[in-house]
Order: sequence, then structure tokens, then C-alpha cells
Amino acid sequence: MRGIRLLLVIGLVLLLVATGAAQTKLKAGFIYVGPIGDYGWTHAHNEARLLAMKALPYLETSYIESVPEGNAGPSIDKLVRAGNQVIFTTSFGFMDATIGAAKKYPNVIFAHASGFKRAPNSATYMADFYQVYYLNGLAAGALTKTNKVAYVGAFPIPEVKRHLDAFALGVCAVNPTARVHVRWINNWFSPPAAKEATEALIAAGADAFAFTEDSPTVIQVAAKKNLASFSHYSPMYKFAPNYVVSGELVHWDRIYIDFLTKVRNGTYTTKNLQNVDYWWLLAEKAVEMGAQPGMAINPLYVNKLKAVTVTTSEFGKISVYDLIMKRHAQMSQAKPAFDPFTGPLKDRNGVTRVAAGHTMNPGELTSMEWAAPCVVGPWPNEPK
Amino acid sequence: MRRLGSLRIERRPDPPLPWVLLVSGLAIAGALVLAGLIFWGYGLNPFEAYATIARDTLGDTRILPEIFRPGIPLMLIGVGLVLAFRAQFYNIGAEGQLLAGTIAATWVALFSPIHGAWVIPAMFVAGALAGALWGLLPTLMKLRLNVNEVITTLMMNYIAIYTVQWLVYGPWKGPSVRGFPYTDEFSGAAVLPLIPGTPIHWPTLLLGVLAAAVLAFMLARTTLGFEIRVQGQNPTAARYAGISPLRTIVVAMLISGGLAGIAGVGEVAGIHRRLFDPGQISQGYGYAAIIVAWLARGSPLAAILTAVFLGIVYSAGEVMKATLQMPARVTDVFNGLILFCLIGSERLLYYRMRWNSN
Amino acid sequence: MELELILTTIVRAAAVGTPLLWASLGEIYAERSGVVNLGVEGMMILGAFVAFATAYTSGNPILGLVAAAVVGGAAALLHAFVSVSLRANQYVSGLALSMLGLGLAGLLGRGWEGIPLENPLSEIALVPVGVVLAGVLWIVLYRTRWGLAIRSVGELPAAADAMGINVVLVRYLAVVFGGLLAGVAGGFLSVAYRPSWTEGMTAGTGWIAIALAIFAGWDPLKAIGAAFLFGALFHLSFRLQAWIPPEPLTMLPFVFTIAVLALAARRTTRLFGAAPEALGIPFVRGER
Repeated sequence: MRGIRLLLVIGLVLLLVATGAAQTKLKAGFIYVGPIGDYGWTHAHNEARLLAMKALPYLETSYIESVPEGNAGPSIDKLVRAGNQVIFTTSFGFMDATIGAAKKYPNVIFAHASGFKRAPNSATYMADFYQVYYLNGLAAGALTKTNKVAYVGAFPIPEVKRHLDAFALGVCAVNPTARVHVRWINNWFSPPAAKEATEALIAAGADAFAFTEDSPTVIQVAAKKNLASFSHYSPMYKFAPNYVVSGELVHWDRIYIDFLTKVRNGTYTTKNLQNVDYWWLLAEKAVEMGAQPGMAINPLYVNKLKAVTVTTSEFGKISVYDLIMKRHAQMSQAKPAFDPFTGPLKDRNGVTRVAAGHTMNPGELTSMEWAAPCVVGPWPNEPK
Repeated sequence: MRRLGSLRIERRPDPPLPWVLLVSGLAIAGALVLAGLIFWGYGLNPFEAYATIARDTLGDTRILPEIFRPGIPLMLIGVGLVLAFRAQFYNIGAEGQLLAGTIAATWVALFSPIHGAWVIPAMFVAGALAGALWGLLPTLMKLRLNVNEVITTLMMNYIAIYTVQWLVYGPWKGPSVRGFPYTDEFSGAAVLPLIPGTPIHWPTLLLGVLAAAVLAFMLARTTLGFEIRVQGQNPTAARYAGISPLRTIVVAMLISGGLAGIAGVGEVAGIHRRLFDPGQISQGYGYAAIIVAWLARGSPLAAILTAVFLGIVYSAGEVMKATLQMPARVTDVFNGLILFCLIGSERLLYYRMRWNSN
Repeated sequence: MELELILTTIVRAAAVGTPLLWASLGEIYAERSGVVNLGVEGMMILGAFVAFATAYTSGNPILGLVAAAVVGGAAALLHAFVSVSLRANQYVSGLALSMLGLGLAGLLGRGWEGIPLENPLSEIALVPVGVVLAGVLWIVLYRTRWGLAIRSVGELPAAADAMGINVVLVRYLAVVFGGLLAGVAGGFLSVAYRPSWTEGMTAGTGWIAIALAIFAGWDPLKAIGAAFLFGALFHLSFRLQAWIPPEPLTMLPFVFTIAVLALAARRTTRLFGAAPEALGIPFVRGER
């Protein structure tokens, strides 16, 4: 009798330990649109996944890479069946599949990057660069000698147009005579296209380069001609240490860690995500200015930027370097004291796009199509 | 005929079915062994890996229907390619013909005055016509100018890709997608019904099976089928027999291109419900269907089975990515190895060895 | 300014055209011997990865190109074995090689992305090498006994065989040589043109090289012009973007190839050559 009771007790304890151990794990799955070796968008999400695992000892993750948009549904099914409680879908094209899966699996939490549709168990998130592009634009405007600044754009979609406009607004804030020349490569990843677009812009006389493409090609090409550039997305300082001035870095891990922590402590449930939309910027440290973490501006360029001064209504006479730092500080506050998309703003055809005193909200920012006044070059779907 | 001592190697143009099955099975087994080596090199136990793949593709009734997601387009294209290959026309352009079908179907769904119950039939007709027309230029170039069709059909693929790209970035970009390169979603009338809980858009599947049956009948029982068979086996004899290559090859290619176009209709109307990035619409179905047709060894009905087999390969690729956490490119390795082993075993099929008795 | 525009276009045309030139020279030799190799894309991507990995670990980009040549040649050897010895369908074998090459390079290349190369080769320095190579290959093809052997094997293998030429050996050598050049072309992308490694970085260059071999009428000297023309078109599609949408320009090489095939076949002009007679047909001794 006693033996049996002992066995029962031991069994109960084992059961508790076992369920307890199972409960201490939180399983999250990631759906990627590209290969993790792209050194761009998907690479950044994967790095963030690894950082989140390091930061959250209870976190277990898995991923599926190169998921075609038509296959998002079954890929989500696979992650759900593997026991994932949280699923991140990291491409705009997965939006409808994510919402569909959220209906199908009401007990699983979803989060979709860069989209605009939500559900009680499906949030949206985005780490956006437009502030950083503006800061980079200030530097580019100060550094250009030819007054021709270049931008190699991936696709003429609102996200890229927003970044291009912010960059151009920055350029012309310090150098009103400068122009931003744009070329499109119609690809998120195409080194040959990025290379020739850059060469075409060099031939047109541009001497400072920003871009949206998932490889360091633009930087490498510009550096060969001793021209300055701004890196994009991944740390690309090492590809041209003498010529990369600054750039944009993403920290998706900030969002992932915050989101998963809140799932863990019960703040986020499968019922209350309808209005959860991460639109995280400098203030939340989801994005960073620089071509390498911790280095906002390449030390080689600090003095050059200090040597150029401008006069602003807000700060009076000020060096561009100090202006960048001031603007950076303003936008890093919890309630930013500055936003590049505060009116009055006109597009390049003179049409007023933002009324005086109004600051564009995320909804307006994610659907904007107009071109800033300093932009020169093709602009598909430009509003009349 | 060749002699090696008392060993004789002789040709046999019509190998018996069990032998075909045995050799094809051996070729696939060979490919799996080679792929197993790659698993092993990747640090996975090949036996466990295959067990996982088998369990997660075939052993799960919820995942099983996923085979038909690639299986339906592969079947339609594969059946058509069987016919084209039998007429000795190497159509590598099914990918482009599929995309031509998606363009026509999208036009019907979004921009034509057709509506209601007529939309779906009109999409299928328009898609079939577009696919057939896309294949017609290389066909005529081959027949009139003797230009190799492999290169022209391949070039037509790229032209189709850039045409779709231009459409979705330009004139056909939808107002409701916030500037992303997609058309608007099709209305309900232009969306194919699915078997509930599966990705199987059954009207397209039905068309694929019907096409296989009709073509099998045509090849076996009709004059046209006879002409195509003769044309394929011996063009010189066909010419002497008064068979017009123009007729046989053009008919075979119109059907092949048309079926690829129908596959394209199925993809946009059954799976995606809109037109967008051409690289995402088809998962290389036009190329993979070459394996389907090759495996089917000239039989349209067999193409139904081989399409399902390749559907399993695709589904297995998804498992390798998801469960085994392998890179996506592993599917290409699989397809490449299977194709190599299949064509490498071809000689075993059509030649046999005999010990000379005398 | 005008002059500068023309000059930079020429320089860019040469830089873009050089990997195309190398790969298409290889394809010209393979096809001249009667063997189509649609595996150029696969051989190039393998070459690109191996060149980068070798150049990075050894610090010597030339060594990287040598390694790329070896790997490209080895991949071509597989194609030669299947299509020449086993007499399997050349087109299907080439497609299989492309799939296998892209797949293997994707698996092996994992983790090599995002690494800069310390001492890359100059892309411009390799341009004259390609041009000289094309000249040498033209002389070999049209003015030497080796070239005669290759051409006769590609035109009339039975006659070549009767003359005592080892058809199988010649085809093997031509295909493997084509693979060497395709490997170098891929390596050029990863140690000079880019220079770094990313999965799928050949991005269809191999297919264009095949089209180019036809466009050039299977003539090594014309391949120079053809490659640089394709390079110029690609470059100009960005240069002229303000006036012309990019898709039609990107489409042009493929449209051109079809047009050239038609023109060459009609023989209305002697500018374009005709395909080798025995192209794509396996050689069986004693059969025609």
C-alpha cells in the first residue's frame, strides 16, 4: 500500500515537473519571404530571432525560409502543428494568409510585419527608417560637391518613396540647391541591377549615395570611385570603411523581445491584439542611425560635417554635424519634438501635401505616393 | 548492336511496362541515395530525415492534400508536354505559357465586361487561348525556319515574366493595395471553388484528369494521334507517309500551350486570386513539369501519377524547410538529382544485355 | 559631356559584358562540338561560390578563379558523361545541371554572405583578357586542326569519325572547356564584379550567355560585340530610365535573340551564322 502511495506521489511530482517544464517554454515560429542568407530583410529578421532567443531563456523558435506568398497558409499550418504559440509572418505579401490563419487558429497569436490588417489575435509591426533617412539626408546634403545626390530605389512603392522623400527633405534642408537623382531597379535583391544603376548615377555626376537594396553593392561601387555612401539595413561599414558615412540599421529584436515578453506575462492574449500596431522608430530604438551598431557617423566624416554650417530658424547658425545630433536627439524622445513630415509640405509639382502644423500619421505615411521637391527622376504612379 | 565478348547489347524501342517501372523506380531510388548523402553531409541522419519527410507529407491527412497545390498545375502542364515531346517538340516554355494564361485570366476577371457565372468559363477559355498563342511563335519558327524550339521557348519565358512585371507595376496595379505591386483581388465570381479544408481547386484538377484521358484516347485511337506518334518516332517515315509535320506539331503545341495556360488560370483563380510578382505565381512549375512528362514516358495517363509524385517532392521540400530547418535550395538539389538519374537510366530502358548463346 | 557619356557607357558595357563573354565563349565551344549545355547558370553559380570561398580563405583572387574553373569543368564533365556517353537528352541534362548547381551552391554558400573581400580583382583588368581570349579561340576554331576537329564533330560527326577523329573525346573536351569558362565567369562576378557572395547572385546571367552564343552566330569574335551590346543595353536600361520604362529594355536581349534566330534561319543576311548541323544530336557510331 505504502509503496503504491509513494509511487503515486512520485508520479504526481514527475507530472507536475513535466508540465511545469513544458510551461516554461514559449514557442515562436517565423515565416520568412527570402533565404536567411540574403544579407538584407530576411537576414535581419533572422538575426533578431537569434538575439531574442539569447535574451529570453524560455523562448524556443523555428523558422521556414523562402516561403512563396501562395504557400504562406500551409507554412503557418506547419508551424501551428509543431506547437508554436506565437507566429511572426515577415512580409507584406503574407497579410491575407495571416489574417486567414488567425481566424482558423483562434488560440494562436500572430504578428504580421509591414501590413495593415489586424484581428483579435493578430497584431502588426514595423520598424521604420524614415527619420534615419532624413538624418542621412542632412549629411549627404552637406557632403555633396556636385549638388547631385543619388538614390537607388528597389520598388516605387510607398515604403521606398517615403524613405526617399525623407532623405531628399534632409538633403535640401541643408543644401537647397542640391537635387536627389533617383533610379529604380524593380528588385529587392539584384546586385547587377544595383551596380549598373549606381554606375549610371555616377556617370550623371552624383557624388553621395543612398539606396534600398539587400546587398552592399551600391557602397562597393561608390567606394571604388572614392564616393561617399550611406549603408542600408545590415551593418555594411566593413565593405568600405573609408567611404560609408552613416546608414540605417534595424533592430527587429527590440520588437520581438517586447512582444514576446508581453505574451509571456499575459499582457497580450488571443483576444486583445485588434489595435496592437507597432510602428517603432528611433524613440523605441527599433532603428538606429549608422553603418555599424554604436557608430552613428563614421569618425572620418565628423570633421567634414562640422566644417559645414547652416542657418535654421530653430537653432540659428549651426554645424551640420550638430544639427544631425540635435535632430537625432529630438526624434529619439518618447514624444518626438521634430518630424520631417510636418507641414507645410509641397510635392515637387507644387501641390500642398501636408497642411501647416499637421504631422503625417502612420496611415498616411504607409500610403504616400508623392515626390518631395528636391527629387529628380522617374517616379511611377506620381499623383497629379 | 555491340558485342563485348559473349555479351551482346541490343536496342529495344518498346520496353515492357514492368521493366519501365523497375528502371524508373531504380533511378528515383538512386536519386534518393545521392540526396541522402547530402543530408548526411548536412549533419542529419538520412534515415531519420526520410522517415520525418514520409511522416509529414504522406502520414498526415491534413497535409496530404498539399500535394495537389503543385500537383494540379504540374498535371496540366505535364500532360501537355507529354504530347509535345511525343511530337518531338521540346517545349521548355511552359512557364511563359502559364504566365500568358494568368494574364488573360486576370484581364477577364478584372477588366472585361463579362460577369456572373460566365466569368470562370471565360477565364479558362481565355487562358487556354493565351497559352496556346504564346507557344505558337516558337512552333511556327521551328516549322517554317527550322529554328531550334528549346531556345525560342526559353526566351519567350523571359518575355512573359517581364510582361507580367510591367503590368503589375504599371497599368494593372490595384488601387486597394497601397502601392504594392499587386492587382486588386478578384471578385468572388472569378475565384475557383476549393474542396473545403484543402488547397484543391477541383475544377482545374478535373480539367487536368479529363485532358489526360482525352489525349490518351486521341493518341491511341485517332488518326491525328497516329500521325503524332509516327511523326515523333520517325519523322522521315512520316514525311513519306504524307503526314504533315505542320499539322501534327502545331496541334500538339497548341494543346500543350493551352494546357499550360489553363494551369495559369488555376493558379490565379484558385490560389492567389490576383496577379502579382511572376516569380511567386509559379514555383517553377513549367520547368518541373518536364520531369513529370519525362517520367510519364509518353503516356498522358501516367502523367497524372507522375504529377502527383512530383507534388510529393514539392511537399517534401516544404517539410525539409519547416521540420528539418534546411535551406530552401534543397528542393532544387532534389529535382536536379532526380532528373539526372532519370535521363541517366534511359539507356538501361531502351537497351538490353544478352549473353550470346553461340 | 557627350563624349564622357559615350565613354562611360562603353566602359560599363565592357564590364557587364565580360562575364557574359566568358560564359558564352564556353557555350560556343560546347555547341560547336554538337553539345548544347543549358547548365551554364548552374556552373556559374558554383564557380561564383567556390571562387569567393577560395579567394577569401587564401587571400588570392586569382586562385579563386582557378578553383572556379575547376568546379565549372567538373560540373560540365557530369553533363558530358550524361549527354555524350549515356546519350541522354542534352536539354534535359542541362536543365538538371542548372537546378543541381543552384541548389548545391545555395546549400554550401550558407553563412558566407555579408563578408567583404579584402583584395578583389579589378573588373576592368579582366576585360582585355576576355577580348584576347575570344581572339585566340577564334583562331583555334577556324585556323587550327583542333578547331577543324571541333567543327566537323559538330557538323558531321559520322564523317569526322570516318576521318579518324575521336568524336566522343572531342565533345568531352569541348564541353568541359565550356564549363571551365562558365566557372571563371561566375567567379568573375564574386571576386571582381560584386565582389562578395550572396545566394542566387548570378540572377539569370547564365541563361543570357546561352542566348548570346546564338546571337553571336557561334562565332567567338562576334561574341565580343554581342556581349558588349547586351552589357550596354543592361547599363542603358538604368541610364535612360527617366525616358523609357525599364521592362522593355530588360526584355530586349531575349527579343533580339529570337529575332536573330529568325534572321539567321532565313539567311537573308550573312551577318548571323547558322547552327551547327549536329547540335543536340547524340553521336552513335554506325548510325546517322
